[in-house]
Amino acid sequence: MKCPAEMVVYMHEYLDEEISAEHEKELRAHLQNCEECQTHFHELKKTIALVQSTSHIQAPENFTANVMAKLPKEKRKVGVQR
Amino acid sequence: METIVKKRIKQVLKGDQDAYAEVVEIYKDKVFQICYRMLGNRHEAEDIAQEAFLRAYVNIASFNIDLKFSTWLYRIATNLCIDRIRKKKPDYYLDAEVAGTDGLNMYSQIASDARLPEEDVESLELQETIQREISKLPEKYRSVIVLKYIEELSLNEISETLDLPLGTVKTRIHRGREALRNQLRYV
Repeated sequence: MKCPAEMVVYMHEYLDEEISAEHEKELRAHLQNCEECQTHFHELKKTIALVQSTSHIQAPENFTANVMAKLPKEKRKVGVQR
Repeated sequence: METIVKKRIKQVLKGDQDAYAEVVEIYKDKVFQICYRMLGNRHEAEDIAQEAFLRAYVNIASFNIDLKFSTWLYRIATNLCIDRIRKKKPDYYLDAEVAGTDGLNMYSQIASDARLPEEDVESLELQETIQREISKLPEKYRSVIVLKYIEELSLNEISETLDLPLGTVKTRIHRGREALRNQLRYV
C-alpha cells in the first residue's frame, strides 16, 4: 500500500506541535491502519528521545577565568563615560 | 536573568570589564554545550566557546540592548562552530576518533585503571553513539537539531538565532530528524 505523501509531513507538524486538528485526525486514522507509518512515527519519536537524553555537560573548570584573561586590556577607566 | 545580564552589559559598555565575568558565568555551560554538540570534541568546543565570548565582548557595542542577549551570543557561537567545521584541519586530539576503529578514541587506547560498572559503560556508549550520529549530520541540520533538542529553543528563537526564515528552520528540522531517524533506528 502506498501511503499519502502528506502523512510524513503531518508527523513533523505533530512533532513541532503545529498540527491542525484536521491533520491530526487524518494522521491518527492513518496510523491505526498502517504499520509502516506507525514504525516511521515511532522511530522519529525515539530519535528525539535519544537526542534529548544526551547528558548536559558543563564548561571546563576555570572557563570564566580563562576568558577574562584573554580579554583585550580596557583603555577606558570605569566611570569615565557618562 | 536577562535583566541581570543587561545590567552587566551596560556596566561593560561603561568600561567595567569585570562585570563581564558574570555574563560569562551565566552562559558558559550553554555556549560550551552548543559548541560540544556541534563539534563533537571537548578541546575544540572549549576553544570555540572562549572565542565566542571574546567576540561578544569585543563587539558588545553593536549588540542591540533591546534584544535577547542569549540569542545574539548563540548566533556568534553557532557561526564560529560552522566556520570551524568548514575549514576543519585534520588536527589530532586525544578524544578525537581514531580512523578505522569505529568510535574508539585515543583515551580508549590508553590503559586505564578505572573500571566502570557495566550499565555506566552501556550508557556512555549510547551517549557516544548519539553524539557521533549528530556529528555526521551536515552542519545546517546539525545546528537546528542542537538548538532545538539540546538547548530547547523554540522554532522562532532558532529562526532569530540563525537569522533564517521560519520556514527554512522547519524544513531543516524535518530533514535533520529524518536523517537522524535513519542513523539511529537500530540503536
